[in-house]
Amino acid sequence: MSNHYIEVKNLKKYFQTPGGNLHAVDGVNFTIDKGKTIGIVGESGCGKSTTGRLMTMLLEPTEGEIFFDGKDITKLTPKEMVEYRKKIQIIFQDPFSSLNPRKTVFHSIAEPLEIHKVYATKAEKENRVYELMELVGLSDRFVNSYPHELDGGRRQRIGIARALALSPEFIVCDEPVSALDVSIQAQILNLLKKLQLQFGYTYMFITHDLSVVKHFSEEIMVMYLGQMVEKAPVKELFANPRHPYTQALLSAIPVPNLKKKKERILLQGEITSPINPRQECRFAARCSFATEQCRKEVPDITDLGGGHSVRCLRIHEI
Amino acid sequence: MQKKLLEIKDLTIKFHTDDGVVEAVNKVSLTVHEGETLGIVGETGAGKTTTALGIMGLVDCPPGRIEGGKIMLDDRDILQLDEDEFRKLRGKEISMIFQDPMTALNPVFTVVDQIAEVIANHQQLGEKEAEQKAIEMLELVRIPAERAYEYPHQFSGGMKQRVVIAIALACNPRLLIADEPTTALDVTIQAQVLELMKDLKTRSKTSMILITHDLGVVSEICDQVAIMYAGEIVESGSLEDIFENPLHPYTNGLFGSIPDIDKEVEFLSPIEGLVPDPSDLPKGCKFHPRCKYAQHLCSVEEPVFQEYSPGHYAKCFVYEGKLPAKEVKKYE
Amino acid sequence: MAQIDLTLAPTGKKKSKKRSLWADAWLRLRKNKSAVAGMIMLATILIVIYSSPLYLDYDNDVIKPDLTQTLQFPAKGKLLGTDELGRDVLARILWGGRISIGIGVLAMMLSSIIGCTLGAISGYYGGKTDGIIMRSLDVFMAIPSLLLMITLVSIMKPTITNLIIALAIGSVPSVSRMVRAQVLYIKGQEFVEAIRAQGASDFRIIVMHILPNAISPLISQFVMEIAGLILAISGLSFIGLGVQPPDPEWGAMLSSGREHIRDVWHVTAFPGIALVLTVVALTLVGDGLRDALDPRMKR
Repeated sequence: MSNHYIEVKNLKKYFQTPGGNLHAVDGVNFTIDKGKTIGIVGESGCGKSTTGRLMTMLLEPTEGEIFFDGKDITKLTPKEMVEYRKKIQIIFQDPFSSLNPRKTVFHSIAEPLEIHKVYATKAEKENRVYELMELVGLSDRFVNSYPHELDGGRRQRIGIARALALSPEFIVCDEPVSALDVSIQAQILNLLKKLQLQFGYTYMFITHDLSVVKHFSEEIMVMYLGQMVEKAPVKELFANPRHPYTQALLSAIPVPNLKKKKERILLQGEITSPINPRQECRFAARCSFATEQCRKEVPDITDLGGGHSVRCLRIHEI
Repeated sequence: MQKKLLEIKDLTIKFHTDDGVVEAVNKVSLTVHEGETLGIVGETGAGKTTTALGIMGLVDCPPGRIEGGKIMLDDRDILQLDEDEFRKLRGKEISMIFQDPMTALNPVFTVVDQIAEVIANHQQLGEKEAEQKAIEMLELVRIPAERAYEYPHQFSGGMKQRVVIAIALACNPRLLIADEPTTALDVTIQAQVLELMKDLKTRSKTSMILITHDLGVVSEICDQVAIMYAGEIVESGSLEDIFENPLHPYTNGLFGSIPDIDKEVEFLSPIEGLVPDPSDLPKGCKFHPRCKYAQHLCSVEEPVFQEYSPGHYAKCFVYEGKLPAKEVKKYE
Repeated sequence: MAQIDLTLAPTGKKKSKKRSLWADAWLRLRKNKSAVAGMIMLATILIVIYSSPLYLDYDNDVIKPDLTQTLQFPAKGKLLGTDELGRDVLARILWGGRISIGIGVLAMMLSSIIGCTLGAISGYYGGKTDGIIMRSLDVFMAIPSLLLMITLVSIMKPTITNLIIALAIGSVPSVSRMVRAQVLYIKGQEFVEAIRAQGASDFRIIVMHILPNAISPLISQFVMEIAGLILAISGLSFIGLGVQPPDPEWGAMLSSGREHIRDVWHVTAFPGIALVLTVVALTLVGDGLRDALDPRMKR
């Protein structure tokens, strides 16, 4: 048995659509060590959110295994599942739709405590809710407010408090700041970081924004059309991106700095369809390095050592 | 010196709602020169979009009302125009691109028809000629002519946004207002659209107002920048002024909040507190509750929007010499 | 004091008081003039009608024929005149309203209980469950609901209980469809996923989170559906399958007055007006509720 805290092996999720199988996640492997953060980066439709849903058992994988502390959580009975739900939590992207509009802040945060009947008395439960609110920096005067009365940043704090209520070990953060204003984003990122240092949470941080995960994770996995294209420790990835897609993604970020204007790699075209993908490199259609061979076979993953691996046929030429 | 195209003076727009009066835009003054791109930067509720709608004459009334100020296009105050004259202006002289390309197109018409319609509305052209022109516009935004007769749902997000840009540019407007044109797009698609807009900017002499919350996007295509906070402009100047020498604490805070891809830091330095509720704005300087430099003075008196170096304006007591702090620390 | 208040309170400085969305909805409802008019009308109708046993005697005032006084025009003492058996039209309208409205409300309650259950299960689980439930309801939908009710009542005998059941069955398909559509929409929202991620059971998710959100936009439609059901009862009574004589009911009164409509208008006109007023009141209230329960209508 491996000694990684979380180990994902050949994870696949296909959705049935009228046009055929949609390969949302197609054979993803990664590991996360306890107390660390992995960043999953990619554009819309790359399967990053689906991966997050699979990790939190909100979706059932088509194939593959997810080992959590040595136990394969894809094979749990519904009863065992309830226990694991406490340990694995998720923070959602949209603080508007991720809260029940008819529940007060108190009820939203207390909900998980009630589901699992954590506290016997009402007073204990109330204490815990106030404690959680303080933890995420929500003033207790909002305890009886409704979500629609609060701004995005505060709502996202409620979402975080709710995820923390059951003292989880592993938290999937699905674009937790992309719906927020710039100045609020930084507050929420700092909060998540602080909580990790305080409680030793393990994070999976899903985002489309490479600059956001840079400060957050030890390792980054870049996804494209359901597959991993590159995975590396964060410094290595930024210093030495090897896959043409990662390079383009890095260069596409508009940097608010006049002196460091980079040469931009513009990608041709747009993302291709994830329905019944052909046997080829999925990035080939947009890649400026693509050759005949790239359009004929699915590239394997090349391990470059030091935890850096890339899925590209021409890795040694580019 | 280029010619002034648009000059806004003390524009004030208020919304009268059940919950009170919302001061969405408060004494905003802006100038756009010919061929120039002005970036308006700010967070949700800063009044960026309302300002743009004010220029377009599209503020919902009621509850909204333009309560003061002038919007001069050349030498005409367009606020004095009646609805009919305004309609002629829209699309022809000023046009606007909205944030969400998914809903901006009519799903039951082909792409080329939607562009041709705008052209036919404003120019005396026959059906065939308008269509011909529409296809030219599509090629200008790099959409191949053979896709012109497709419907919007057959296009991806980035292509739809290009169609929207083509519609906006169809009548060679003199001023293009783009409201967060790339926010709904993926990073690599955003890069494509930005590149296109840069290219169009150099080729045609259209002036542009770009509304965004993303300072990165601003640095790509703007010449002038105005920073808005709570319905006011707190700082404005050339791109270099704002990026190399930001004066206002809010501008500095914004730069500090952005995770910099080229730097290593454990924690970011955010602006504390929240964007104020526009129906209940703080007295004095609107930014004082979140400002590190704020003193009592800031909560009672309003600073003056002043010029500190040629073309570089800011609204802060630090620069009036009325606070202990003599300058705002740069974000680094 | 040279101290600056650093706490920014965009949503009010006081600790927010406990209050419900319903209280907010009530505030909004009170601002809506036509809804208030509807509520006043409805309240008046209900109070007058349901207090009728206090001032009317069933045997003497409502069903006792007085053949000396048949088809009298409105006059002092008999404000709305008398019918073909000499009974006071006003008394029968008041007494009959209890039956009309009572059956309408009870039938709607029954059909919304069944409809919500079916709609929620169907929308939440989807797939085969959804297919089976919805296809079976389609069979009912295919038959015009009045025709369905007529068939059911004629099979079951026209007692009041059977009437309620028949009316409820007739309106279940449309109620289920409305609920299902709402559930489908709400199921797709992230907060439902969030609650699932907490480990909540399906029952808890449906009952505590989905249904409250699904039903509130439908309440107004339910209220208007009551109006439809009252009309249906009247329709059934009109053709003799509803409330049986000598009990008064608005539709039945219309039906029996029909023969004399050329000579005396009041026997049919007044029950008709009562029916129209009730339906209008219900519709106004329903419209108002729809707006009041929509949080976007705040401004």
